[in-house]
Amino acid sequence: MGRIALKAVGLIAAVWFLTVFIFLTPAVQAAEKPIKIGFIHTMSGPISMYGIASSAGAQIAVDEINAGGGVLGRKLELIVRDDKLSPETGLREAKDLVLKNEVDFLTGTISSAVALAISDYASKAKKLYFINIAQSTQMTEEKFHPYVFRFTTNATPYFGYGPAIALAQTFKSKKIISLGWDYEAGKNGLKQFKEKYLELVPDAKIIDELWAPIGSTDFTAQITKIANSGADCIYLAAIYGGGELAFTKQAQAFGLYEKMKMVQPSAGDIESWSNWKQGDPNPKGALTTCRYPFWALKGEKNAAFAKKVLEMTKLEPSYGSLNAYITVYAIKDAVTKAGSTDTEKVIKALEGMTMKTFVGDVKMRAFDHQAMMPTWYGIMDVTPALPFPHITNIKQLGEESYHTIDQIKKIRGQ
Amino acid sequence: MTFEALAGQTISGISLGMVWFLIAVGLSIIFGTLKVLNLAHGSLYMLGSYTCYQVTTSLAPLAGNFWLAVLLAPLVVALVGGLIEVFLLRPIYKAEMLYQYILTFALVLIIAEVCKIIWGAGYHSISVPWPFKGSVRLFGLTFPQYNLFLIVMGAVVFMGLRLLINHTSLGRIIRAVTHNREMANALGVNVPWVYTGVFMLGSWLAGLAGCLWPPMSAVTLGSDMAVVIDCFIIVVIGGLGSLSGAFLGAIILGLTTAYGVLFVPKLAVAFGFILMVIILIIRPWGLLGEPE
Amino acid sequence: MAQDRSFSSFLGIGLPAALIMVGLLAALISLPLYVGQSWVSITTEMLIMSLAACALNIMLGYTGLVSFGPAGLYAVGAYTTAIFLQKLGLSIAPSMLAAPVLAGLIGAIVGWICVRRTAVYFALLTLAFSQIIWTVIFEWYAVTGGDDGLTSLPIPDFFFNISNCYYFTLFVVGVCTFIIWKIINSPFGQTLKAIRENRNRVEFIGVNTKRYQLGAFVLSSLFLGISGSLYCVFSGSVFPNFAYWVKSADMLVICLLGGVYNFSGPLVGTLIYTLLTKIIADYTTHWHLFLGGIIIFIILVMRNGVVGTLADLWARKKQKQL
Repeated sequence: MGRIALKAVGLIAAVWFLTVFIFLTPAVQAAEKPIKIGFIHTMSGPISMYGIASSAGAQIAVDEINAGGGVLGRKLELIVRDDKLSPETGLREAKDLVLKNEVDFLTGTISSAVALAISDYASKAKKLYFINIAQSTQMTEEKFHPYVFRFTTNATPYFGYGPAIALAQTFKSKKIISLGWDYEAGKNGLKQFKEKYLELVPDAKIIDELWAPIGSTDFTAQITKIANSGADCIYLAAIYGGGELAFTKQAQAFGLYEKMKMVQPSAGDIESWSNWKQGDPNPKGALTTCRYPFWALKGEKNAAFAKKVLEMTKLEPSYGSLNAYITVYAIKDAVTKAGSTDTEKVIKALEGMTMKTFVGDVKMRAFDHQAMMPTWYGIMDVTPALPFPHITNIKQLGEESYHTIDQIKKIRGQ
Repeated sequence: MTFEALAGQTISGISLGMVWFLIAVGLSIIFGTLKVLNLAHGSLYMLGSYTCYQVTTSLAPLAGNFWLAVLLAPLVVALVGGLIEVFLLRPIYKAEMLYQYILTFALVLIIAEVCKIIWGAGYHSISVPWPFKGSVRLFGLTFPQYNLFLIVMGAVVFMGLRLLINHTSLGRIIRAVTHNREMANALGVNVPWVYTGVFMLGSWLAGLAGCLWPPMSAVTLGSDMAVVIDCFIIVVIGGLGSLSGAFLGAIILGLTTAYGVLFVPKLAVAFGFILMVIILIIRPWGLLGEPE
Repeated sequence: MAQDRSFSSFLGIGLPAALIMVGLLAALISLPLYVGQSWVSITTEMLIMSLAACALNIMLGYTGLVSFGPAGLYAVGAYTTAIFLQKLGLSIAPSMLAAPVLAGLIGAIVGWICVRRTAVYFALLTLAFSQIIWTVIFEWYAVTGGDDGLTSLPIPDFFFNISNCYYFTLFVVGVCTFIIWKIINSPFGQTLKAIRENRNRVEFIGVNTKRYQLGAFVLSSLFLGISGSLYCVFSGSVFPNFAYWVKSADMLVICLLGGVYNFSGPLVGTLIYTLLTKIIADYTTHWHLFLGGIIIFIILVMRNGVVGTLADLWARKKQKQL
């Protein structure tokens, strides 16, 4: 009898607990369930410094926001995954994050190919995807869909219109020769540079367009042709990193820096100079764009952020970390404004939103979900004050360096 | 198209070719004797460039630090090559070529990751060393002295290797093992150690190239991949295992690239592979190789 | 020297093997019921990859033809479907059916040139052709989208449902694997194995080995094309790296991991490779080191792969019992 009674009590208790559990906990859980951001980036391999820097920027924002009470009473959680620079892996991780981890938002990565794959999936899964570094204009133009947002600049101010406006406002060169790596970013960059520059300086000419296989570092043949071409300006089409350093050294050795003006869009990025030492070669005198000249911007928030990134990653703050930081704050602002993480409501909140960041007010353009992030340009120089080459005589560009809405309409065939 | 411009482009093509020869020759030698398609050749080059950077920087206040690095770094790479050959390749010589190919692929993964762990993901720079910091006037061009130095080095390495292979007893042993392994073994040659020696020589050459080219370019991750396919193309065109073939193949590729940039820039990218396929179809042992 | 392993190809014959097959099939068919959607998606990917590996192994393990360029034909299949869907506006059926046709065609042309050469030169030719395919894809922006790839392909919504896509893939891969199994165990397949063992001897008995090798090449290309097409439909996008030599090396690694002399080798190899890289990558960003180490271990210690080594042990155990 005793045992049966014990069993009965146990059974009733179990049923009671189960009922309580089923009915009460969801409400309790919802209040504590974190808002999950899936962060996909290239965390391994040769260009992993971008992924590492960006994830640091995102983490700093998440930590700050959580310290301040979170968003709508919920904590933010960042889940970081490696795309191994492969669209297949990036897609797999995006699916995993959405299906298994049930993230509320996706963000990342550096490679436009991977970003396109993720964006494609996001549009079908109806999840918001915030592009982090990938520059391809396709994502907000030809391949636009309502679930993609970009707070970073895109290829237009970076490789195309930005350098074109910069050149038109400084040297106004008339005979330009271009040298690029033979891939889409290079070809597209040159195309946009040409169309803007020839619009601003109509009597200028692009006298030749030279290409080298992507990743190559020996430009001797092209440089020789350039030296004999009579050009007064060289435009580098999407050659970055080690290739850019190689070009700089070779061009200097061939005396090109004395003969003509250099437009090197990627040179301003801080990632290029993470191991630079005083006395090393550098593109002094080159006209370049920079996406986050942290040393030149005022304000203690900027300085505090720069310091935090340096502490966390031992690297100087890059625009990747800046944009990841801004993106997370944008998510916070939009969710707060929308009052929930419901995708459609957040989209409405984001469109037309103006972020107050420490690089200025940044408006999110509703038409293409591209934020009008500023780009800066200047002349590369080396000063003893800073441990890396940097732009001087800095000017800021804004919305004018992006495609206009009419242009995008035409591109989309509308 | 002035004569000067053409001449300038030609000397640039030769410079390109000599650099490629320096980078690719090790692969040719290794394949010639060991019959191994060493995918890790680019990785050894990269390892050489990082080691050279390390030595140059560590000895920075010393004058001539770069030249000391050129002495030391290739030896380090040769040592690594020796270890690879003895412990990883020796056990699988009897196995099919597929295993060697994939093993060297595994080495590509490992060496790249090790370089990243030790030196980080950012790129590094080695400066052009004294006394080649300046430039000369050549055919109306400002031509860097260092490139002239590289052209000379290419020729020196080529002739040095020819001397070694054709006019020394060591070279005779290598040639014997290359032509007929069993016979050489029967005649008392210690074939395994000859193999090791040749692999170390090839690695040493890769390491040397890793010291010589970066002052004009950069020390970066990803240089292994960038270099290895071009090496394969050159070695196939010239003839697997032929020293002169590698030299010829490199010069041909250098000149076609230089002239291609001048006249048909759009096609330049695919040139190498197309040449490779044509040679493999009509004369697979390459221009100066020997048919099997 | 490879032994004829058709006997213990499936780690046993007759009843044990049949039971395993049935069990496996049952598990796969009911997978979506007990495993999350994310895993169903990964399994779909693994099925596609295993078909590609199996296709490669027709050449590699059964004919003894070492190809360094299977990725090229895989990419041809994927891009054919993508281009038909997006640029030509055709519906899904012809787009998918065209993939093995084009891959087989290109495989026939490339193969005809390649089989004229042996061993190293054959391998280098396959590598060169694969890189040419990569270059064409990379450069021909108007048709292939260049290095941006082709994305947001007009794939019917049916395939976006993960379970639907999974069952479709399972069906196609199952049928193709069965067909490959039948081919391997046919007289044609026997001839291939004989050619692998001793080409000259087979020539002496009057067989045109080149024709058989070309046949293996074309069959391999056909199924590589199908797997490429399946991946295109699964992911909705295609990229040039599908054709790069690193992807070819990955496929070779998969076959070696599992074992090239067993039919189930490539299938098991895919499973191990996918899970291993995923698990290791979750723990460390230095997963390249571990992958490289594992490959070296397999090549030095377990050259016949996991399945091959297990089959060896099983066979030895049976011998001891006798």
